[in-house]
Amino acid sequence: MRETGLAGTPGQNVSPTLSRRRVLQLGAAALPALCGARLLAGALTGSGVETARAADATAPADGYDPSAHSWAFAVDTTTCIGCGRCVDACKQENHVPAEPEMNRTWVELHVLNQDGSVRVSAPDGGIRGFPTEETMPEADAADVRDAYFVPRLCMQCENPPCTWVCPVSATYKNADGVVLVDETRCIGCGYCMVACPYGARYMVPAGETTPKGVAGVVDKCTFCYHRITRGQLPACAEVCPTSARIFGDRNDPQSAVSVALNERRVRVMKPGLGTRPRVFYTGLEGEVD
Amino acid sequence: MSVQVAGRTVSADPRVAVRMIRLEVAGTPRPLKLWFALLTVLCMIGAVGALIALPPGWEVLGTSPTVEWGILITGYVFFAITTSGLCLASSLGTVFGIEMFIPLEKRHAILALLSLITAFGLIALDLHYPIRMVFGAVLSPSPFSPMWWMGVFYGAYLVFLMTEVWSMFTGHWQVHRFACVLSSITAILAPTTLGAVFGVLAARPYWHGAFTPPAMVTAALLSGIALLGIVFALVNRFQLAGWERATTLAIPAIRLLMMIVLPVTMLVLAWQMMFGLYGVVPGLADATKAILVGPLALQFWIIRVGLGLLVPLVLVVRRRSRTPTGLFAASCLVFLGLLADRMIFVSAGQIAPGTAVAGVVSSPWAEYTPSPVEIAIIVGAFAFFALVYTLAERYLPMGEHEGHLVGSFLGSTEHPGGTREEPAEPVLASEPILVSDAVPAPDAVPALDAIPAPSVAPVLDPAGGAL
Repeated sequence: MRETGLAGTPGQNVSPTLSRRRVLQLGAAALPALCGARLLAGALTGSGVETARAADATAPADGYDPSAHSWAFAVDTTTCIGCGRCVDACKQENHVPAEPEMNRTWVELHVLNQDGSVRVSAPDGGIRGFPTEETMPEADAADVRDAYFVPRLCMQCENPPCTWVCPVSATYKNADGVVLVDETRCIGCGYCMVACPYGARYMVPAGETTPKGVAGVVDKCTFCYHRITRGQLPACAEVCPTSARIFGDRNDPQSAVSVALNERRVRVMKPGLGTRPRVFYTGLEGEVD
Repeated sequence: MSVQVAGRTVSADPRVAVRMIRLEVAGTPRPLKLWFALLTVLCMIGAVGALIALPPGWEVLGTSPTVEWGILITGYVFFAITTSGLCLASSLGTVFGIEMFIPLEKRHAILALLSLITAFGLIALDLHYPIRMVFGAVLSPSPFSPMWWMGVFYGAYLVFLMTEVWSMFTGHWQVHRFACVLSSITAILAPTTLGAVFGVLAARPYWHGAFTPPAMVTAALLSGIALLGIVFALVNRFQLAGWERATTLAIPAIRLLMMIVLPVTMLVLAWQMMFGLYGVVPGLADATKAILVGPLALQFWIIRVGLGLLVPLVLVVRRRSRTPTGLFAASCLVFLGLLADRMIFVSAGQIAPGTAVAGVVSSPWAEYTPSPVEIAIIVGAFAFFALVYTLAERYLPMGEHEGHLVGSFLGSTEHPGGTREEPAEPVLASEPILVSDAVPAPDAVPALDAIPAPSVAPVLDPAGGAL
């Protein structure tokens, strides 16, 4: 009788004892099955191909070495005039939805009153500027102690809560410090959105896609990764008429951002959370904590 | 050719089967038929909502970057804690062998399995790429993400529950004992991890902290107890399978649990509010204010505290309302209160954002209105749950089995299973506190006395000539 691998004779209840040959046969069958499952999963999720991360909008230039850079951003709130050109440029550059409530970057107007209260406004993310009738309809100059514009963007944290919480490792931090989203892995759970202390993320809305053409996933500022890896400035810094947005490589001591961080008194937003942002502010008061 | 389904012979011939179903429908009492019809319609409404919500990129939810988690997440959390609470409450019988909790066994397992399936359905509809979730979680595990662990524990819980239910109906008592223990352990791990999903978020002061996981387990336990209270009061009301022991043992047992867990929940809630009122944690004071005097105050004080905690406590403590009907009312109110509690919990973490989100400044509170699709899905989820459970109650043998007689528990040296020699004494029926349950309540008139399905096959078996 040909060995079937299972003990027992026909007509009897076979016991589940496996022969060595049967185990090897099962192993030989399981290996390609597992490989096939891995490939299938890769096809379905895109996670099987590591280079999928390097596609389209977040694609670095050929030969780009992330470990050779340490990107950082400085925002000078004392020179920002709230024109909103940065918001507009970002929307055009990064396929950001036209909806005013979806922005990778935006500008806020902070009005500090004498009694210590703060009024924050950002009509349409500041893309149209700040018409007085919308931001301060009941403005009383005597009550105001200070006012300034605060450009906002992803803080590209050294210790990003968003990457910690992602259940499928779809959002990750590169060696150059930029936090990116792998759209082919993102499941659209929104956990990173609720985890972000800076409100820097949004879910791509109906009828819209990411620059890569993916719908229903999370999108965020990447410092214009496709530009900076080619030696260009992020779109927002490029168009800023007052150089309130300063970008550069901290590994280069001569870069604009290194000079700015060395020469000015800067602070980060919500330092108590331990996120260690790569976006630094000058002229910011404590109310943003 | 025919197959046996739940002890009844069903023909495999499609024409005969259809005829049998028609006969079955014709033989169903009218009130039950209406109940099934209502639930089916609601399920269909939910199914339409689900189909609309499925394709990624169809913005049919009322959520926004500021309030990203809406009522689908609320519903998921609600069903996910309920499923755990059912096992926690019943573990006193299934694991520890306390006689008065043993009648809970079969029903709790089916309810827990259904509740978990409903929870999974809701989370799948909230996710834009649920398939990616499954593959991603397996192939790119993220052990630092509580959400990943939540998937692991609830996945394991599903397996243990399925094993528990399967072994319960097939008489594999050895397997059943282990499944009961494992599912009860996982019933603690899973809601703790669900609490951690919210607890790790420093960006959301109301959710943040090590306090959230144990608070979630407390809510889970109360939720499971409430659902058991509703179901067993109905078992008593309609004299369903095993209703005698349900009345003498299970209902007092559930009431006892509720008497203990309601004050504990109140204490947990009071401390939660107290921490918020201290005002030393940035953002927590705003969230607490939203609950106590802000936009969530109405549902907090009236539904959560008044109807959901205080009234039920009075109902289970007062001697006059210690009846199955009193427990039913208390359980329904607790269930309603917990639903409000989960809505408050999910909202409070997002309604007072610590910063502008994606360029939107929410002042003073972020707004969120569920879309019709979300409401349809939630209604459909509850209807699905009720429909499948009613079917199970009607067509599955829900009477107690013999796998959990004394001596069949882990740690015992006696052989599992066996035959019940004599009906168990209603051990606590003689105690004054439980006197009112020793006999069926006066209102226990079997209005739907035909709910238990006929147990004889020939009615439906063409081979028997009855057709």
